[in-house]
Amino acid sequence: MRFYSQSFLYDDPWSIVSYAFFMRYPNPFASHVLSCDVISRNISPTGTLVTTRLILKSGAMPRWAPKGMVSRAESWVIEESEVDPVGRVVRCTTKNLDHVKVMRVEERVILEQTSDDKTLQNTEARIVSGFGWGLTKRIESHGLARFKANIQRSRQGLFTILELIRQSRAQTMTMGVPSLYTPSQRFTSGSSASQTASEASGSSDNEQKPRGTWLNPKSWL
Amino acid sequence: MAHSVSEACTPLKREYDACFNAWFEGYLEPAVSASASADPARRTTFAQEKAAEYERSCGKVWAQYRECVQGAVKEKGLDSLLEQARQENPLSEPPPLLDDGTSSR
Repeated sequence: MRFYSQSFLYDDPWSIVSYAFFMRYPNPFASHVLSCDVISRNISPTGTLVTTRLILKSGAMPRWAPKGMVSRAESWVIEESEVDPVGRVVRCTTKNLDHVKVMRVEERVILEQTSDDKTLQNTEARIVSGFGWGLTKRIESHGLARFKANIQRSRQGLFTILELIRQSRAQTMTMGVPSLYTPSQRFTSGSSASQTASEASGSSDNEQKPRGTWLNPKSWL
Repeated sequence: MAHSVSEACTPLKREYDACFNAWFEGYLEPAVSASASADPARRTTFAQEKAAEYERSCGKVWAQYRECVQGAVKEKGLDSLLEQARQENPLSEPPPLLDDGTSSR
């Protein structure tokens, strides 16, 4: 098993980062997300919001993967989250439901409000392969490398959404109009979103100016 | 907004997501202070108010959307896969962190 953990500090307040986190799909940096559905949602007796989402992601197999290792390069992912608006924390766990023998990736994200009204994100991943055939280590290393690369992309995606929220709120304030506007409505068409993604995947991923700070990335082999 | 697992559910999903987002924005800024929330009774009132508010604004479209998705999930044979995953319930029982920070293999 491989373990990876990383922290990131957003300059934005917790409520905005959490709002963006829940509407992060689709975004131009997540064209691999094919569908995303809420399958259960309720408010707990203590007032926290508990949500389960089912997400379908596409993925490519590495070149060295044996033929027929998985029947198709798509993966169902389950995301379970709990939002505590009073305690100012979001806890979210994501894991793949299929191909688990080849590789199971479990990701935990915690978003917490800091004392200076910023948002600290802590991400942990556990990557386990039970494939055998002398490939276990290689699969796990590949999974870890992919996870590290993808974490950058998902951050870019969240920045995109954050920027849209900032813009929409600034506009609302200037115009004094009560807003039912949701930023994700800008991404109504899947095709336009993936078009942007293919353009961005060239070399311009760093166009988005990240507003935040990297903290202690850690990785154990 | 992202597509639904079944194209037939996508219009309902969009309607629901828009409703949820509007509710969620207010939910994230509760008019309850952290000190008041230490009181379990206040916390329960807060929960009931928020649940009622959600039901009032999004309850109807949520029921329709959920039914549509549940049908699609069954059709694709995903229900057993989900049942299995939910029995593990990661939120209530997180697996322990590795003590020494090294791998087991």
